[in-house]
Amino acid sequence: MASTLETFSNDLASAVEAAGRSIVAVNGRPRTPSSGIHWRAGIIVTTNHTLQHEDDITVTTLAGETLPATVAGRDPGTDIAILKVPGLQIPVSEPADAASVKVGHIVLAIGRGITASLGAVSSLSGAWRTWRGGSIDSFIRPDVGIYTGFSGGALIDAAGKVIGLNTSGLSRGGGLTLPSSTVSRVCDELLQRGRIARGYLGIGMQPVRLSASISGLIVLSVEPDGPAHKAGLLVGDILIALEVTPLHDTGDLQTALSADLIGKAVMLHIIRGGQTADISVTVGERP
Amino acid sequence: MIGSLAADLAMAAERLARSTVKIREGRNGIGTGVIWNAGGLVITNAHVVSGRSVTVETADGRTFAAHVKVRDSARDLAALVIERLDLPAVPMRPGVIPRTGELVFALGNPFGLTGALATGIVHKVGPVEDLGTASWIQADIRLAPGNSGGPLADAQGRLVGINSMIARGLGLAVPLAAVAEFAARFSG
Repeated sequence: MASTLETFSNDLASAVEAAGRSIVAVNGRPRTPSSGIHWRAGIIVTTNHTLQHEDDITVTTLAGETLPATVAGRDPGTDIAILKVPGLQIPVSEPADAASVKVGHIVLAIGRGITASLGAVSSLSGAWRTWRGGSIDSFIRPDVGIYTGFSGGALIDAAGKVIGLNTSGLSRGGGLTLPSSTVSRVCDELLQRGRIARGYLGIGMQPVRLSASISGLIVLSVEPDGPAHKAGLLVGDILIALEVTPLHDTGDLQTALSADLIGKAVMLHIIRGGQTADISVTVGERP
Repeated sequence: MIGSLAADLAMAAERLARSTVKIREGRNGIGTGVIWNAGGLVITNAHVVSGRSVTVETADGRTFAAHVKVRDSARDLAALVIERLDLPAVPMRPGVIPRTGELVFALGNPFGLTGALATGIVHKVGPVEDLGTASWIQADIRLAPGNSGGPLADAQGRLVGINSMIARGLGLAVPLAAVAEFAARFSG
């Protein structure tokens, strides 16, 4: 009779084998391919940061078949890109219920080739926003070895179901996993619209330091008939905060202007002619 | 279940340890080796043994002088012979190539430790970029230089490869089939 360890070992290998059928190599950068997951029929999800060109992209299945792919949408905010691959004949991946994932659960990171590394869920927390402004349903940090091809691959549970998409492009401290729910939402929105909706004010700006403790964004240009123009914002105004979020650099504003604010009035705290003022702006959608 | 996993691993490691040896050459240079057959043949890495004679230390603490019989630098394997060795040959898993994702463990002598265990899984089996066409068992496991020449074993403690180097964080082991081919060339 097989020992418990042997059974466990076979189960791990079987989980990799089952989930691995949905993994492809994405040839979208020089030399080293990244990984991708067959998410919907004919649609591969991968990481945006590993797609270094948009033309001549191909994917290679585990069986060695190479097929041409076209970029159907990219979202730098969540680091997700989707590719259309006509004629792809491999199984679609099976998502895990992300809500059931707990710290300590045994997980495997799988990538093209097929490659695997073993570990456990190290850290979990709620919804968060990436440094590029993308909103992610939950924070999942796996304690797994990160090898070439990790980005764009899948984090799977012991049953071979996909917890999410792995990326090393969103944090300096190693890899993390974008939950399946976020991948599905972004995938569907990219398929429908080709992009992810983001809030927009219609201004050009640059950071300025006003004193040792105060900094803001000085308005350098205002787009005619844009949201900021309609609200009466002027060149030379200095933006200090959007609602309660301080604005120290342009990324702060981009991050603050999430899609849920589109069409809503927000308060901008500004300095104009040496005086502080509040201006209400109705957030537009980035064209 | 965790309890029986732990017990199974301890048992497999203990069994493998009986056929695993420490290899010393000169004052420094510590590596690991496996007892290949009851005739006293020990397999290790070629880079562990540069000269003709080395010292082999068994798990039960005995020390033997060993003679380096053959070295194959291309596949980084060496065979040593010890007279009057009465220890069991390493259990082997011939025929089946390890599956990606299956558990593996290594025994060795890294960082001055003796008989240290490391666990991981098979990352991939196949050629490695920039290392030619030879196939390697690439393992997601934490190894160090003192693991060189030592066993990589499956969940039952059976030898699947000889740990030889670390590349991009992965442990690379010469597959058992290649080791057997090397040993067959002169042991007859």
